[in-house]
Amino acid sequence: MPRFDTLNAAWTVWDNPAPAPEGAVLEYTKELEKFLAEIERRAFRMAQVALRDPDDALDAVQDAMIKLTRSYASRPSAEWRPLFYRILENGIRDLQRRRTVRKRVMTWLPGPKEDPDNEAQDPLDNVADAAPAIPERLMQAQAMQRLEESLRALPARQREAFMLRNFEGMDVADTAHAMGCSEGSVKTHYSRAVHALRAQLGEVW
Amino acid sequence: MSEQDDNAFEMRSRALFQDSVEGLDMRIRSRLTQARSAALEAAATRRPWLFGWKMWTPAAGVTAAAILGVALWVGSPLGHHPASLADPQSNFEDLDLVASSDEGSADAMEMLQDDIDFYDFADKAANPGPAA
Repeated sequence: MPRFDTLNAAWTVWDNPAPAPEGAVLEYTKELEKFLAEIERRAFRMAQVALRDPDDALDAVQDAMIKLTRSYASRPSAEWRPLFYRILENGIRDLQRRRTVRKRVMTWLPGPKEDPDNEAQDPLDNVADAAPAIPERLMQAQAMQRLEESLRALPARQREAFMLRNFEGMDVADTAHAMGCSEGSVKTHYSRAVHALRAQLGEVW
Repeated sequence: MSEQDDNAFEMRSRALFQDSVEGLDMRIRSRLTQARSAALEAAATRRPWLFGWKMWTPAAGVTAAAILGVALWVGSPLGHHPASLADPQSNFEDLDLVASSDEGSADAMEMLQDDIDFYDFADKAANPGPAA
């Protein structure tokens, strides 16, 4: 952080920040775009598993993208993935906290109560799909739904460890970085998650 | 539960997740693309917010000190401002009157000089000396 002899000198720098070399900006912008394009759908699905609501999941992913590009774009690209998931998980936790507070406030207010399981009922959701459902695909969708429900029932840290290791395919070190804990904790959380999920889903799943 | 079963479970859950990612509808895909563009745009125009916050701190400190100084000067019952004894609000009205440069009060300084005796009196009233 530069130091200034006078306040005026600081103001001058503030008003006219030195631009990064154009070539460097272009280079990391391209790399960032590639990284975000590669990760965004999985990130969205993971956020959706945690938050259930697709719009909330989109908000969380977009916030994480903006925070990553604003604050960490100049970091080595190898660090982006754990950083991105750390930001995303913080965003998810914030949204869940806000939801809990909102729910508590709503119970004190008069008027019709919000049913979280019934919110955002889009009439189009009930319209039958034009394409005939393939039984195998339907079974896969049902299996995934059961997995999602079981994941939501897990403690947050176990769910996080499972999704980063299994869905995202991150190694233990990167997962530890993303979760802000030791590698040993990651292994413990992951192992407990696998056993809890298997116990919940049963042998036939 | 054997390790082999665990591995089979992990593979199955990964495959299901991957299927669900590939099955995302166009609306979601399009919104993710928009989100990515917005994030990259934000990166291109990013400003050093932390640096700015640190720069604002001394400026805010100086401003707060200046405001406090003026408030103490104007509002002090111990200073040479007799009107403040009667009504603190009138300090600001007087200041307005003196500082104003519209036609009706263009000769504010002259007025002060005209009423110099009054202000002398008021000053003595506010700061009475030891009884003779």
